[in-house]
Amino acid sequence: MTKARTDSHFHDAEVLEDLYDSKPRKLGFPVKSPSVPNFHGVLKSNNYNSSVPLFNASAVDRLQADPGYSQGGSSANSLNGDDDANLSVIDMYGGDFDSPRKEQTMKKMDTLASGKGTDHNTDRISSNTVASTIETPIRKNVGSFDRYGFRKQTTYISEGEYDIWWTEYSQYCVRRKGKWELLLEKSGLSYAGDSPTRFPARSEKLKRYVRKGIPAEWRGNAWWYFAKGDEILNKNKGLYDKLLSRIDQIKVQKNREKLYPDLEIIERDLHRTFPDNIHFQRESFQDGESTMIKSLRRVLVAFSLFNPKIGYCQSMNFLSGLLLLFLDEEKAFWMLVIITSRYLPGVHNVNLEGVNVDQGVLMLCVKEYLPEIWSYIKPFYKTQNSNRVTMVSFSSNSSMHSKGTTKNEFLYKLPPVTLCTASWFMSCFVGVTPIETTLRIWDCMFYEESNFLFKASLGILKMSEQTLNKGKLHSTSLNHHNQLRSRKVSQDESDMELFQALQTFPKKLLNPNDLFEKIIFKRRITFNNLDQEEIDRCRKFVKNQRNKYKNYIEAVDSSQYSNGRASKYDDTGHNNGNNTNTFNTSTPISDTMIQDVLSSEGYGFKKGISGVNWNNSIKERVRQIRKRKDKE
Amino acid sequence: MLQFKLVLLGDSSVGKSSIVNRFVKDSFEDLRESTIGAAFLSQTIKLNDNGKEVIVKFEIWDTAGQERYKSLAPMYYRNANAALVVYDITELDSLNKAKTWVEELKNKVGDDNIVIYLVGNKLDVCEKDSSKRLVSLEGAKEYAKEQGLLFIETSAKTGANIKETFQEIGEKLYDIKKTEVNTDLDGNTGEIEISKPSTNDTTSCCS
Repeated sequence: MTKARTDSHFHDAEVLEDLYDSKPRKLGFPVKSPSVPNFHGVLKSNNYNSSVPLFNASAVDRLQADPGYSQGGSSANSLNGDDDANLSVIDMYGGDFDSPRKEQTMKKMDTLASGKGTDHNTDRISSNTVASTIETPIRKNVGSFDRYGFRKQTTYISEGEYDIWWTEYSQYCVRRKGKWELLLEKSGLSYAGDSPTRFPARSEKLKRYVRKGIPAEWRGNAWWYFAKGDEILNKNKGLYDKLLSRIDQIKVQKNREKLYPDLEIIERDLHRTFPDNIHFQRESFQDGESTMIKSLRRVLVAFSLFNPKIGYCQSMNFLSGLLLLFLDEEKAFWMLVIITSRYLPGVHNVNLEGVNVDQGVLMLCVKEYLPEIWSYIKPFYKTQNSNRVTMVSFSSNSSMHSKGTTKNEFLYKLPPVTLCTASWFMSCFVGVTPIETTLRIWDCMFYEESNFLFKASLGILKMSEQTLNKGKLHSTSLNHHNQLRSRKVSQDESDMELFQALQTFPKKLLNPNDLFEKIIFKRRITFNNLDQEEIDRCRKFVKNQRNKYKNYIEAVDSSQYSNGRASKYDDTGHNNGNNTNTFNTSTPISDTMIQDVLSSEGYGFKKGISGVNWNNSIKERVRQIRKRKDKE
Repeated sequence: MLQFKLVLLGDSSVGKSSIVNRFVKDSFEDLRESTIGAAFLSQTIKLNDNGKEVIVKFEIWDTAGQERYKSLAPMYYRNANAALVVYDITELDSLNKAKTWVEELKNKVGDDNIVIYLVGNKLDVCEKDSSKRLVSLEGAKEYAKEQGLLFIETSAKTGANIKETFQEIGEKLYDIKKTEVNTDLDGNTGEIEISKPSTNDTTSCCS
């Protein structure tokens, strides 16, 4: 970086400070957000770029008139060109970047892997300094990045499409923010500094507000508040610092690679976390690593020490990465703790059982609420008159147990499509849907708990139905299976097409309101009645069923293993008197166990009793009245 | 058109997704996002059978490399016709991980049912700086020979040997199918079912 450029940065920064001062009241962008990267500036440039009148004319005029700013470029386009003089992202972060203190800090931040690192504690970024120490690419075209620093263009969305959509959506965001401000005022809460730390009491209205999107600038605080971050932080004061000290000790420890295998795996994923986001990108003019990557490393390593049962699981890099964009490091750490324990219990555990349970729950929900989609997913089990599916033997060379029937086998042997939906849960839709949609889902997850992740998944599945019908998987879906049979298309092929459709479809969900307005807010869509209690009950049911099957399979396996050896089966816990275990004729597993597995009832969702409909219609009317009132 | 199911296995960060991306889109990014769960892609290639053009479609499952995702792997390699077991020639341990994958495939799927290709990736790194190489060509080659695997070193970054690898797998699978199916491969019989296990067989459902 040349001196001239540095000077010009300072200059730009002043201009921007100026701009902030003259901001319109409604937007109220602070110079620095208490939450990490202050993306307001980028937002501004984007809005400006797309001619959205977010700012009063005088500020824009001054911005343009300033020669230090655009180096003579006075047209709006010059902001978006490739010229070096463009508003670079670093310009957006306020005044005190490039300070000597920062230089020092940067030098000190050695990687854990290299082992040359110094004291993590002193390097840790507090909420007040992060915004100023973000070093970001100087020569990047700001117009190509969204307000969080993500590249607008993806494989599925062009920059042009993004800009057209953003022109409208940014106005929506401004309108919503105005409503939030009014709501806070009415509730007697302050949003001074554009950084409210307390939010109104829970209510249907607040839920609606959250569903319509928390203002981006408030997100970090709001998530923290709704997830009750303070509770866990206050109970564990100083713990994060202690973990960082432990990291320092580990760094000089011999054999640390062997003792802490997660370190290496974390290291490999650091630079594979949001490589398209400017805040995460490697920089050549520093020691090559962005502040964000350093924070990410500390959060992930600290977590792996804090919860060895989980350690590090790929996908947590994305969760932490997104948290770090909105919260300071310590809070991001605790939010990761909260997400992995409260919202996604067991999902990231070493055996990934939690994610399997959740996929079982999702499949039950799809079967119940989206029968059309289920017809694509449902495996080709031979159906019997009783509408039960044939128990498929678990070992491909044995038909010994295929005589039994069961309803719930798919909960253990999950359909292949769950390989796709599993990633929706593991990363909470980060990287699954475009960022604004992901953030809206996060807003609701923190306010409504994990049932919202199921609702969002069901919503996306419902929306994808059209795509499924359009594609090769045509035919009216309900007799889809018969058609497939007649076409002799294999289950495998149908699975792959479904998978392909479902891995692509969410990536095009640029506009969160497509999901929210058309699905989530629709009362008539039955899965919207799913509540946390139901999901928890469902999780319990699936866990139970999977355990039963697991024991059953293990018993089958061990009986096959000992086939011909006439062994006992005490080790399975199910002693069985019949020890003549020839492969085809015997039933080496206790009858009770088979009974247990086969007699399992299907899960019963809470059915609306007759009164509920009536109730709902009243609710709906009340809601509409309220809506009208809101508008007034 | 023939369709073959192919799965990529190997330690995290060895370049599985990059190899697929090079093959399918002929592009490369230095930093790719970690794959969570799995990704599915497809690509066709042309083979030449005595002057007759044969089109082969690969259905490719790209998987997450981290150890704990291993429990999901059977869903991917079930019914797979071929597996690319990838390691990083600059990471010694990644070959060991590759070996465990080979063992698992042999135990669970069986040699006869799947073509296994051992792929040492990141050749470009070693071409620039030979001291970066930590897995010797000879050692890996020998292991592959012992185990009866196909073997190659590639670079997803430069594209070296990527297309060739898939081409070779295509030819190999085509030859297998040709001998397996005692009908000629002209016209109608070239339907997908010949490359797939029977669909009516309930035992072939997700294991």
